[in-house]
Amino acid sequence: MNKLGRRMADKVEFGLFTLPVLICVAVAFYIPFVLTVRYSLTKWNGISKHPKFIGLDNFKQIFTGDANFSHAAWFTVKYAVLYIVLINVLAILLALVLDSKLKSKTFLRAAFFIPYILSLVIVGFIWKFIFMQGFESLGHSTGWSIFGWSWLGEPGLAFVSVLGVSIWQSIGFYLVIYIAGLQSVPDDLKEAAVVDGAGPVRRFFSVTLPLLAPSITIAVFMALTNSIKVFDVILSLTGGGPGGTTYSVAYDIYRDTFQNNLYGYGTAKALVLFVAVLIITIVQLTIFKRREVEG
Amino acid sequence: MKNNVVGRVIGEIVLILLALLFLYPLFLAIFNSFKSFQEVMTDVIALPKSWTFDNYSYVWKFINYPRLFLNNAVITILGLAGIILVSSIAAYKLSRTRSRASAIIYFICIMPMLIPFQSIMLTVLKTARFLHLSDSTWGLGLLYWGFGAPLAVFIYHGFVKGIPREIDESATIDGASGFRLFFSVIFPLLKSVTTTIIIIDVMWIWNDFLLPLLMVNGSPTTKTLTLAAYTFVGQYTSDWQYAMTAMVMAVLPSIIVFIFLQKYIVKGVVAGAVKG
Repeated sequence: MNKLGRRMADKVEFGLFTLPVLICVAVAFYIPFVLTVRYSLTKWNGISKHPKFIGLDNFKQIFTGDANFSHAAWFTVKYAVLYIVLINVLAILLALVLDSKLKSKTFLRAAFFIPYILSLVIVGFIWKFIFMQGFESLGHSTGWSIFGWSWLGEPGLAFVSVLGVSIWQSIGFYLVIYIAGLQSVPDDLKEAAVVDGAGPVRRFFSVTLPLLAPSITIAVFMALTNSIKVFDVILSLTGGGPGGTTYSVAYDIYRDTFQNNLYGYGTAKALVLFVAVLIITIVQLTIFKRREVEG
Repeated sequence: MKNNVVGRVIGEIVLILLALLFLYPLFLAIFNSFKSFQEVMTDVIALPKSWTFDNYSYVWKFINYPRLFLNNAVITILGLAGIILVSSIAAYKLSRTRSRASAIIYFICIMPMLIPFQSIMLTVLKTARFLHLSDSTWGLGLLYWGFGAPLAVFIYHGFVKGIPREIDESATIDGASGFRLFFSVIFPLLKSVTTTIIIIDVMWIWNDFLLPLLMVNGSPTTKTLTLAAYTFVGQYTSDWQYAMTAMVMAVLPSIIVFIFLQKYIVKGVVAGAVKG
């Protein structure tokens, strides 16, 4: 009897410890997720009381007749690929420089990290100011035509601007991950390579880079998850323009749901984004798991 | 040898210049917040002729800065306290209990890390309205408990595994159990991960945009700093001197905190990324 009572007490305690978190994630994720699935099968403007059930029509529309969505998807893919490659290459190079014995190391690391602590929306506005007003003055005083280009007004350049500003804001984060990774590379390994007569480039590719693999895994993973969801910076920097060329998938969903009041259609798109993210994450995790086992 | 030293000094100077160039946009924002409208329009890159605080007093009053700051503080502190409380107790229990139910609940807790917020934003808003959590800073703070829980549970769970069970057992013999055992014995041992979680979550909640935009943008009394800066720019599209002042005022608290706690913040962010 006593034993039974104790077991009961354990169960109650287990419930008391875990129930709060379950309620919280249910409210934040699971209930909204179920509702998303439900609305995605309806046509609904948010005003009428009863969403009209239309089956999979929204999804058919998304994949066959929605130029906005395919534009946004293409933009997001291009953006994500370039962002992941550029930010990792730049961060590794910068980390290699900052990892050497410099007096101003702390200052330099902090300087590159500062934009990362700022809100992306605000970073977007500050850069909008630089592109629209600052470049004009810079053009006058330097005479360089590059400052005269329409950085937010021409589609190709607007894409570069969005990409550049995103990299500027977050490079500090990747930088500190790589610096931490480099610090865990043992010095005697580098010295051994020097003794063997390997030059700096050779040393980097055959000693440092392989040992950085765990950091690269983390950094690529973070870069991917962040770039697929790109939204804030576009909202404030280009507002999707010029001519709707810089809409990302997340922004396209926002536009349909909250600006065009296509609640059913917007949630269907949102669900497509979720499935895409899920697939990409699973693929990525399997690849990295396999590689880690091999390595 | 001498050549080497000279080279190193030059290299270092080049790097410092590069870093300052990197931060140049921020300096420009700050300089221009001290200029008059005419000065901003005629020359952006020049230093202000006379440093004026007029923009600041105008924007301070117009957006009701103290109120916004308070809102941000309420949301961040309430959110953070809840995330830590709810996640640490759950992660502890889940890590200590070996059963199928425990494994399933753990999975339920961390699975949402895969759900992009934009996928559920509309229905989050609906749910929040239904629960009367929308249009209030408290409601938004409460909502963060759920959004922050998956990562926090994940990090705590991994860390608790490394704490020997003997500690629990000896505390039980001393007569502590349940919440008392957790808060007086285990929680203090989690200090280092708790710091990591605080750093990551403060940066996230303080700067968050989309969720506050949906939840508390309706009234000037519930807005956050970032939201106010966002609306402000919408209203003053060409008054860049005011816009830049609003930007600087919105980011200044983060920069000041960063300057003082730089070491801990960088460490916390790295630890969070490596564990997360």
